[in-house]
Amino acid sequence: MSAALNRRVVTDALHHRALLGAPHKDPNGMKPRLRILFCITIGALIGTGVAIRTVRAGALSTNRAIGPWQTGSDFATARAGAQTRAIIALRGLLALPAREARYYAAQVDDTGNRLDGHCRYRVTGGQLPARWWSLTLYDNTNGVLVANAAGRYSYNSAGLRASEQDRWQIVVAPRPVGAPPPGAQGRHWLPTGGIDRFDLTLRVYLPAGGGTTNLTREQLPSITKEDCA
Amino acid sequence: MIRRWIVPILIALAIGALAFQVTLMATPGTLMALAMNRLTTLGPINHFAHTATPTPADREIVRTSPDLAYSPCPFDLSGGPLLINAVPVAAPYWALSIFDAQTNAVFVRNRFEAQDRPFRVAVIHGGQVAPPGYEPVRVDGARGIAVIRILVADPASFPAIDAARRASTCRIG
Repeated sequence: MSAALNRRVVTDALHHRALLGAPHKDPNGMKPRLRILFCITIGALIGTGVAIRTVRAGALSTNRAIGPWQTGSDFATARAGAQTRAIIALRGLLALPAREARYYAAQVDDTGNRLDGHCRYRVTGGQLPARWWSLTLYDNTNGVLVANAAGRYSYNSAGLRASEQDRWQIVVAPRPVGAPPPGAQGRHWLPTGGIDRFDLTLRVYLPAGGGTTNLTREQLPSITKEDCA
Repeated sequence: MIRRWIVPILIALAIGALAFQVTLMATPGTLMALAMNRLTTLGPINHFAHTATPTPADREIVRTSPDLAYSPCPFDLSGGPLLINAVPVAAPYWALSIFDAQTNAVFVRNRFEAQDRPFRVAVIHGGQVAPPGYEPVRVDGARGIAVIRILVADPASFPAIDAARRASTCRIG
């Protein structure tokens, strides 16, 4: 009872001195103004840091996942949200609006495992409802093309033979693939350069329906891991 | 002791949320300005720089398509409207697109929409007026990037495409 009374007296005295403007030492070792300034600074730093981290971690296409592919349809438009706009500015500046091109990005294979530049993948697809398409491999850490001796960074539908348009196959691997079996379709090689992490971007130009709908899982290429070095 | 921190922590949360949103909103404009500065190393502002298809050495813009030959024209309208004369090239696909300083695509026209005919547009802002014969394209802010993309399906076709695209011009009028 006596201890409680003493605490109350001390507390009242501190409040009284505070009201009178008399200087007193904060029990936490920090003056109120300093405490608020400290919290404002910490809040600003954390908010900015989280925003930068969010943008850096964001994929080019983040609105909808379809198998291993992610896509969005509000690129380069004023209606895109602040986060989407920031990510697109970092990951794909000058991206075209949906009616001109749709972008599908894959950072994982069909089983959901990260694409690894030391492994070999088989990407298989067919005709897409669009004027033309291209498949490009990028370094996932910085979004640049991956140097390789073949000078091959992508494939596009305009460059495929007519016999391949309905069903095509591209081997994504650090080393060249062998000749296809007799009678089989040609197997194209897209080099990974042996980097740790890569991603694939499928660009679909002048998509059917003005780009308002997403390609289906059946229409999008499959990404199958074959083996790893 | 905890009560003394409740208000400062609430303030910190509010400031954090504000800083998060402000950073997101500032990012497109900041990155666009940086990209414009990098593009001016390829050529003068308000002119097309006709670049080859991208390689790993090209880092002015990330995630460019190696299937396309790009002709970017970073622009600044403070000296007047930007007049673009777009001339068709013999390629499976080409398009002119114009982006404002906030990365919005304010204009896109491809070869099919243009019916493989030349066309002229004037990029304007504020009280600027397009000269006769130019289709006006209004942008927010004075700066941005216009870019022509051309599909190079076969590398052997690039020299002819490169020669033909140089007939397109981008200048302050």
